[in-house]
Amino acid sequence: MKKFLSIAMSAAMVASMMTTAAVADEADDFDPGTGKVYYLNFKPEVDQQWQDLAAAYTEEYGVEVNVLTAASGEYETTLQSEMAKSNAPTIFNCGNTSGAETWDDYTYDLTGTWLDEHSANKEFNVSYNGKLSSVAYCYESFGIIYNKTILEGYCGMDNAVVSSIDEINSFDKLLEVATDINSRIDEINDELGTELTEAFVGSGLDSGNSWRYSGHLANMPLYYEFVDDGIDPVTDGEATIKGTYLDNFRKVWDMYVDTSAADKATLDSGTLSAADEFGLGEAVFYQNGDWEYSTLMNEDNGYDLTADDLGMMPIYFGVDDENEGLCSGTENCWAINAKASEEDIQSSLAFLQWVVSSDEGRKVTNEDMGLTMNFDTYTGDFASVNPFGAAAQELVAEGKTAVGWAFNATPNVDTWRQGVVDALIAYTANGQTDEDWDGVVSAFVDGWNEQWELAHAE
Amino acid sequence: MEKTIKRYFPLFMLPTMLAFVVGFLAPFAYGVFLSFCKFTTVTNWKWVGFSNYLKMFSKGADVDVFVHALWYTSLFTVVTVLIINVAAFAIAMVLTKGIRGTNLFRTAFFLPNLIGGIVLSYVWLMLFNSVLQNYHMTITSTPWSAFWGMVVVVSWQQIGYMMIIYIAGIQNIPGEMIEAAKIDGANSHQMLRYITIPTLAPTSTICTFLTLTNGFKLFDQNLALTGGSPNRMSELLALNIFQTMYGMQGWQGVGQAKAVLFFLLVAAIALVQNKISRSREV
Repeated sequence: MKKFLSIAMSAAMVASMMTTAAVADEADDFDPGTGKVYYLNFKPEVDQQWQDLAAAYTEEYGVEVNVLTAASGEYETTLQSEMAKSNAPTIFNCGNTSGAETWDDYTYDLTGTWLDEHSANKEFNVSYNGKLSSVAYCYESFGIIYNKTILEGYCGMDNAVVSSIDEINSFDKLLEVATDINSRIDEINDELGTELTEAFVGSGLDSGNSWRYSGHLANMPLYYEFVDDGIDPVTDGEATIKGTYLDNFRKVWDMYVDTSAADKATLDSGTLSAADEFGLGEAVFYQNGDWEYSTLMNEDNGYDLTADDLGMMPIYFGVDDENEGLCSGTENCWAINAKASEEDIQSSLAFLQWVVSSDEGRKVTNEDMGLTMNFDTYTGDFASVNPFGAAAQELVAEGKTAVGWAFNATPNVDTWRQGVVDALIAYTANGQTDEDWDGVVSAFVDGWNEQWELAHAE
Repeated sequence: MEKTIKRYFPLFMLPTMLAFVVGFLAPFAYGVFLSFCKFTTVTNWKWVGFSNYLKMFSKGADVDVFVHALWYTSLFTVVTVLIINVAAFAIAMVLTKGIRGTNLFRTAFFLPNLIGGIVLSYVWLMLFNSVLQNYHMTITSTPWSAFWGMVVVVSWQQIGYMMIIYIAGIQNIPGEMIEAAKIDGANSHQMLRYITIPTLAPTSTICTFLTLTNGFKLFDQNLALTGGSPNRMSELLALNIFQTMYGMQGWQGVGQAKAVLFFLLVAAIALVQNKISRSREV
C-alpha cells in the first residue's frame, strides 16, 4: 500500500511539473489550465474545422479537447443525454433566453471573463437570472441571396422591369422582377447563355428545409409585431400574438412558390435541393443566410460560383421597406457547464480564448468556417471575408435597421414550427385558398399562444 | 449431477442477471421514478409527485394529439399483425413445399430485417415520393397515406422474420401425423384446417406476440418516414412520447409519465393476447 501511494504521489508530482513546463513555454500570461475540455458543437457544417482546432490545441498545450457534433436538428436531444453523463460537455450552445431558462442550473456566470470583456456586440449575449449565461461567438445574417451576375445580366436586357439591382428596393419591385424573370426564362437563357429554370429556388417544406420559412421568414411578421407592441423584439417575446402582419407573410410566401418551378403539391417530399438549384445557376433568388457561403463556395459540390456572384438583399416585407436591413442575430452562444469541475471550467475558458485570439484559431473561424465572429480580436487580416456578412454591415452603415431575430422567443420552437409547416403544406398543395390560409394563421397565432402557455406553465 | 447444477447455478446466472439488472431493471426503475419528477437531465430532478400524470390530461390541444396517437397506434397494430402473420404464414407454406430455389427465396425474404429501421425508411420515403410525385402527392399528404406507407414498410421488413419462425414450426409437425392424416383420406384443405394450423398454435403465439409489441413500440420507421406529418396526425405513441420529451420545454417529466402508462398498456395487452392464444394451443 505504501509503495502504491508513493508511486501515485510521484506521478502526481511529475504531472504537475509537466504542466508547469507547458505554461512556462508560453510567452504571454495565457494559462491553458489542467482540466479537460469537451465541446458539444452546434454547427454540423463546420465539424471538421473544430476537430482540427481541437487537435492543434492539444498538440500545443497538452490539454485534452473533445469535440462532439450533434446532427442537424438534434442538438437539444444530444445535449440532454450528454449532460446527464459523468463526462458531460464543458462547453455547450445556449442560444436564447428560453434555452438559458431550461439550462439555468448548468450555465456558469460568464460575467467578467475574458470572453465577456472582448465580446464585440454585447447585445447578442444571453443573460438570465442575473447571470451572463452565454456569450455570442458569431452572428449571422439572412435575407434573400441573389445571383448578382445573372441579375445584372437581366437588368441589362431591353425590356427588363428594372435597369439596375439598386432599383429593387421594395417588396412590390422584387415581386415584379421575380414574376417577370419567371415568365421569360427561355428568352433570358437565350440572351444571357444561362441555364435558368425559375426565379426563386424550390421552397422545400421537408424537415431539412422548412426552418427557412417557419423560422426565418416567420421572423418578419413576429419582428414587426413586437416592434409595434413596443417590446424588445429579440429577448422578450409575447405570451399572445395577434398575427398582424401575416398577410405580408402570405404575399412573400406566394411569391416564393409562384415564381418557382417546384411542384406546389409536393414541396415536402424532400427531393428538392435549393442549394443545388442556386449553385448550378438554375435560380436567381434564394432565401437563406450567410452560413450558406461555405456551401456555395465549395467546389466539391460542383458549383461554379465565385464570391463576386453573390449578393444578399433584405427580405422586403412591405411594411417598412425603405429602412429594412438584413436579419442579423445569433443562436450561436457559448455557455460553460457550471457543474463541471473548476479545472475543467478554467481550461474550457482558456480554450475558447485561444480560439478567438490566436492566429490559427482566428484564421480557421474566419476563413475556413466563414463565420462573422463577435469578438474585438477580429480586425485587420481577420476581418470577415464573407460577402453576406459584409452586405449586412454595409446596409447598417447606410442607416438601415438590422432586423432582430424575434423568433428566438418562440415557445416550444420545434413543435410550433412543425404546426406552421404542416399548415403551409396544406395551403400550398391545395391551391392557396383563403380558407387554407386560415389554417396557417391559426397554426401561427393560436399555436404560438398555446405553446407559450404550455412552455411557461408551472 | 443435478445437485451440482443447483449449487453452481447462481454463478452461471450471474453475468446474465448482472447485465439484465444494469441494462434493464435499473434504468426501468429509474424511469418510473423520473415520471414523478420534474427534470432537465436525468441526473438533475425535483420530486413533484403525480403532477406529471395529471398534466398529461390537462391541456386541450396536446391531449387530442395523444388520444389520436393512441387509437391510430392501435389500428396500426391490428392491421400490421394481420397482414404480417397471414403473409408470413402463406409464404412459409409455399417455401416448405420443396420447390426449386427455396433457400434463395428464404434468404431474400429475410434480408430486409438486416437493415436498420431509419435507413430503410429513408429509402422507402424516396421510393414512395418519387412515385407519388406523379400524382401531385407525397407520403404525408394525408394521415392515411402516411398510415399505409408505414404499414407497407413495416410489413416488408417483418414478414421475412416471422416467415422463418413459421417455417421452423411447419418443419416440426411430426411426419407420422401427416402420414396418418393422408391415409385417413384428408384432402389438402382438411390437412391445413385440422393438422397444420392447430399444431402451429405455439408458433403463432410467438409471432402474434412479436408483431403486436413491435407494432405498439414502432418508432424508427415513424420518425424517418413521416415524422408525424401531416399536423402530427401520423404520430404513433412512441413518437408522441418522444415529442413530449424533447419538443416541449420543461415537459420531460410528462413524457416520462406517458412512457410509464404506455408500458402498462402494452404489457396488459400482451398478457391478454398471450393468455388467449395459449389457450388455443394443443
